[in-house]
Amino acid sequence: MSGILIIAEHINGAVRDITKESIGAAVSLKGSYGGPVTVAILSSDPDALAASVNLEGVDEIVTVKMAGDHFDPHIYEEATIKIGEQMKPGLIVFGHTVNGMACAAAVAARLGAGFASDVLALKAEGGEIVATRGAYGNKVNLEVVFPKREIVVLALRGATYPMPTNPGSASVRALDLDVAAAAGSMQHTGYIEAPPSNIDISKAEYILSVGRGIQEKENIPRFEQLADKMGFTFGCSRPIVDAGWLPKAHQVGQSGKVASTCKVYIALGISGAVQHLYGMKHIDTIIAVNTDPEAPIFNVATYGVNVDLFELTKELESQFS
Amino acid sequence: MSWGITFVKGWFYLIMSLMLDLGHLALISGLIYMMVRRASFHLPKLNYLRSYRGEKELRPVASNWRIEDWIFMSVLLVIEFTGFLQEACGLIVDQPAWAIWSPIGLAIANTLTAAGMSVDTAASIRGMNWWMHGVLALAFTAAIPWYKAKHIISAVGSLLFRDKKPLALLPSEPKDAEKAGISSIEDFTWKDMLHLDACTKCGRCHEACPARTAGYPLSPRDFILDLRVYNDEAQGCTIPGIDLVGGVIAPETLWACRTCGACQEICPVGIEHPALIVRMRRHLVEQGKMDPLLRNTITTIGDTGNSFGENSRKRSQWTKALEFRVKDIREEPADTLWFVGDYASFDPRNQKVSQTVARLLKAAREDFALLHEGEKTAGNDVRRVGEEGLYEELAEHNVEQMMGAKPFKQIITTDPHSYNTIKNEYPAFGEIAPISHYSSVLADLLSSGRLKVKKPLNKRVTFHDPCHLGRMNGGYDAPRKVLELIGCEMVEMPRNRDNSFCCGAGGGRIWIPDTPGTEKPSENRVHEAARLGGIDVFVTCCPKDLVMFEDARKTGGHEKDFVVQDLAELVAEAIELKSLRLEDLPPLADRIVKAVANQISEAVASRLDTVLAARLASMPAVSAIAAAAPQAVIAAAPAAAAAAAAAAPAASTPSTASPAPALEVAPPASAPASESASAQPVASGDLPTLNPVSWSALKPVQPANFAGYTAPPKDGPRILVTVKHVAKLGDEYGFTPDGRDVRREFMEFSLNEWDDAALEEALRCVERIGKGEVVAVTVGDPEADTSLLKALAKGAHRAVRIWDPSLANADPITIARAIAGIARAEDPDLIMSGVQSGDQAHGATGTALARILGLPHAAVVVGLDWDGSSKLALARELEGGLRHTFELKSPAVVCIQTGINTPRFATMKMVKQAKQKPLVAVDAAGVIDGSSGYVVRRMYTPEQTKAEMLKGTPPEIAKFIADLVRDKKGG
Ligand SMILES: Cc1cc2nc3c(=O)[nH]c(=O)nc-3n(C[C@H](O)[C@H](O)[C@H](O)COP(=O)(O)OP(=O)(O)OC[C@H]3O[C@@H](n4cnc5c(N)ncnc54)[C@H](O)[C@@H]3O)c2cc1C
Ligand code: SF4
Ligand code: SF4
Repeated sequence: MSGILIIAEHINGAVRDITKESIGAAVSLKGSYGGPVTVAILSSDPDALAASVNLEGVDEIVTVKMAGDHFDPHIYEEATIKIGEQMKPGLIVFGHTVNGMACAAAVAARLGAGFASDVLALKAEGGEIVATRGAYGNKVNLEVVFPKREIVVLALRGATYPMPTNPGSASVRALDLDVAAAAGSMQHTGYIEAPPSNIDISKAEYILSVGRGIQEKENIPRFEQLADKMGFTFGCSRPIVDAGWLPKAHQVGQSGKVASTCKVYIALGISGAVQHLYGMKHIDTIIAVNTDPEAPIFNVATYGVNVDLFELTKELESQFS
Repeated sequence: MSWGITFVKGWFYLIMSLMLDLGHLALISGLIYMMVRRASFHLPKLNYLRSYRGEKELRPVASNWRIEDWIFMSVLLVIEFTGFLQEACGLIVDQPAWAIWSPIGLAIANTLTAAGMSVDTAASIRGMNWWMHGVLALAFTAAIPWYKAKHIISAVGSLLFRDKKPLALLPSEPKDAEKAGISSIEDFTWKDMLHLDACTKCGRCHEACPARTAGYPLSPRDFILDLRVYNDEAQGCTIPGIDLVGGVIAPETLWACRTCGACQEICPVGIEHPALIVRMRRHLVEQGKMDPLLRNTITTIGDTGNSFGENSRKRSQWTKALEFRVKDIREEPADTLWFVGDYASFDPRNQKVSQTVARLLKAAREDFALLHEGEKTAGNDVRRVGEEGLYEELAEHNVEQMMGAKPFKQIITTDPHSYNTIKNEYPAFGEIAPISHYSSVLADLLSSGRLKVKKPLNKRVTFHDPCHLGRMNGGYDAPRKVLELIGCEMVEMPRNRDNSFCCGAGGGRIWIPDTPGTEKPSENRVHEAARLGGIDVFVTCCPKDLVMFEDARKTGGHEKDFVVQDLAELVAEAIELKSLRLEDLPPLADRIVKAVANQISEAVASRLDTVLAARLASMPAVSAIAAAAPQAVIAAAPAAAAAAAAAAPAASTPSTASPAPALEVAPPASAPASESASAQPVASGDLPTLNPVSWSALKPVQPANFAGYTAPPKDGPRILVTVKHVAKLGDEYGFTPDGRDVRREFMEFSLNEWDDAALEEALRCVERIGKGEVVAVTVGDPEADTSLLKALAKGAHRAVRIWDPSLANADPITIARAIAGIARAEDPDLIMSGVQSGDQAHGATGTALARILGLPHAAVVVGLDWDGSSKLALARELEGGLRHTFELKSPAVVCIQTGINTPRFATMKMVKQAKQKPLVAVDAAGVIDGSSGYVVRRMYTPEQTKAEMLKGTPPEIAKFIADLVRDKKGG
């Protein structure tokens, strides 16, 4: 076993935060687990991205030139295996992202490696990886171990590990890989932008979001009006969009928008699934209203309100009438 | 009246003549009154305009009714007039001595004579008029079957064949019926048709209906008339292009009904509207056409047995606040079994009432017990929603629990809905002990003196008759008697007893949101109560009523006018329940045994301590805790682990023979006393091990080998869908003794929502292609069959369940390996899997499965197009909502994201029928061969930085939030 290999993720010519967070996680593990920390970039122009992963603690950057930039999990898997065979890392790190979900488990199955996804904490005990993940709607945690596995593949939860900010001094090495075996499984056809909207969660300063707890479509106007009266942008969790009650632009979270500039976030009837938290847990002031006293949203909220959201809404309505 | 032939003679004839004369006078007055009323008062109940449906103008058929009504009245009037004329002429001509016995005829005769009519004229008029009157009357009679007056005949039939307990006991569906309920005209029985024909359009039901009053698109009269018109046209055969449900009767109309029975109660010709409505709902339910909230509730009841979606362990949690223990009828006999019902068990306001009722029973020394978690919702409302299959399952369950329980003599309940169903409908499932509503139990206890009134209340109260107690079961008097016995002044609302006005919650409406712009029936009702003036208490004796009227009192603006209270709460006040001591006093024998045990345990305690200390030292500390407290229940909130650790070993030693006093009233072993104790469990024992893997010795994961498993030959494209029976935890749970999982009894299970979307997508594919099959595969214990059956009910053709106890809570690679074993044998053209499972959220099983099988794959798919060929067009959703479109070659593994479709609904009947479909259980012993992805070392409740929980009333909290928001926005 030797070191940690991070497979970088990028989109539109930029490395994604999850990769920098993975670097953060790897670098802090390096002391107990052992280095080197290597970041692999698979891109049509990997050198352009190399600088942004050259962060403090990274030992080496491996660049692999690809034919195109459209993510293909089959090619990523093939490339990862090939890089692995050359570098023989003990730990291979992906993000638990849409792309990561499409290839981390495949790499693990192909190697017979240890595997865990949505890993929220990481440590090494006597050189062995101990990963922590959540279960049962993140009400409990579990520690998983990989006895006798000299290779472990992990997919790390986003917005969980700190990103190193200082530049590093990694060496950059170009690798020439033959991924032909995987080419042709997938034919890229295009991208469809989310429909335009006049609301922008990512720029909103105040957001009032509703989740499945509001129970039915007929209630939407009521909360929308409340948000309006309060001067808040109206947001929601994914199931509200899935059910067709609100357009996609309102969705906060991993597959919606991250509320980057938000100052106050009010969550009504949202349980606090990881993907939702991704879009809002960083916010300074979070007020969560939920009838389940153990709802995970209370773990990130500043203030928790354990009452029926309709009862509270009625009072808020009179406060802001 | 003389008809020219005399067939009766003497006094009898004379009296007859008088009666007939007066009768016809009454009929004429009645007809004139009806005509004036119709012409000048515009009564809503006589108005055929369906304005509640937005109708602006009368439909042609309704205008015809109006014309028909007028012709009917006019012709009848003419017949009557000519009758009297005939009689008068007869009297003028014959001048009989008994003329005075036909006073009206005589008066007319005298008037005519006074006006100068001669005997000859009278005789000739008599001749002509005889024909006219006779022909009119005969024609009127002969035409009866063709026009309005046919209701005279059908009404007799309708009344004759009336159900004894319409609505209280609904008709069940024939066992082998292909489809449920009424969906076309052919599904009506002759009795239904008779009902349709019998309606006299009197409009009484229209007036009484709470749904119509509240502005919902339902008038029981128009419901019947619409069906009649359709039936008249269709003549018993479907008219192509017109759907009965949806076309003739709108689904909104059917869902508006509260099954309160007011319409059938008031109908003079015995029409049974609500039963017809429910039978038509059955069809809607079968089609999955219902309000999403209702659909969720029904699914929840199917999954958990109650409409609150709570773990059944919580059903009797309300008893924990009592000073005494409540028996479990499954363990010890009792005189009375109390069937509590959902609202009384789970709704916080009603739990208080249940506690009061329990204390009242205790104070009266009533020997009672509950089914505790053995009880499921009774199913009264489920049945009235139209989910007949689920109702049957619930009824079977409850009856089985009661029949398997220790002996009891009678059943009581506070819930009129449960009362009705258990009393009238459960006997179809087995022998049912006599059941009483608590209102009559309280009446008996008070009048027999077992509960003594200490402080007559002197309150002015009004009482709401619950439909299911009153109208449906005649329970009008007991609650009134109770109120009288506790010294209340009872003021009736105008609509009382059999004319009571429904709170609006019945028939499943409590699970369907109110339509904006309608008045809640419950508000209408509290206004009625408020108009009585000076009422102190609005009294209810139904858990749902309490919820509805508490709410209506607030929203209707009567918070200052009166309070809403349950009957039992008033009784408690009158007998000064609070002053009574209700703790269990242990019997003498118990006390002696305990005293002895105390002495023994004190004597051995010191020795035990030494032994234990030695044992603990020889074991790893952590496993000692786990091993010594195998049944410990760990509450979610982390608390003093040390305390639990200290207490746990002691709890398993013989010294527990003398339990601490606090435990005396604790529930029996089934609900451990250590419920509130809390500790982080720590894993013990040997962890499973993994196969060694290194870069020099890679071991690609191989599909499990299920040698005995063969798949049937393919007939069209085959889609394999992976499904999971996912677990959800409530706010309280405990870990297994080895500390590596949560104990099963704390989990509620349901079909994983991502897999539900995948299944739907697969079904749509084969439906689009027109052939092929969908095979659902799961890894799970026998209970996972529930989710497989759901998949089969929705349309999957076959199901496979793979299981071995070693697979409990297994990692995604192991699960994928097991499924790959089946997939290899099935050789599918496409595999669909959900992006993740709701409980473990690996988001990895599908991807691992693809790799183990060597197939192309895609994750987080939100768009799919496949015609069964080798080309698969897909769209996956990236972070931020951007969609990436691409193509794969099938066979492939596609992981489906929610939102791609709206999954269909499976009724319990479909689930039952699905039991006929092939479901194969595959033994997976040996699948765990060390090739897993991980080993769980321990599971625990994370110490989290919790939010500051805001305490106070909702107004206070809202104020706090408002201030905070204004402060932040200002700053
Ligand atoms: C790849 C992927 C991407 C995803 N992306 C996103 C994303 O971007 N954003 C997102 O939100 N989700 C996303 N999800 C879905 C996510 O996993 C959850 O399913 C979702 O966030 C749950 O939404 P919720 O909290 O509204 O619903 P639930 O989890 O059903 O929670 C509803 C909550 O309401 C509470 N409640 C109910 N009634 C009341 C009441 N009367 N008063 C107060 N509280 C009440 C309940 O206690 C519960 O906690 C994604 C999932 C996947 C797999
Ligand atoms: S049962 Fe009640 S709600 Fe339903 S139609 Fe009859 S009166 Fe109306
Ligand atoms: S009460 Fe009976 S007869 Fe009168 S309109 Fe209604 S259904 Fe017809």
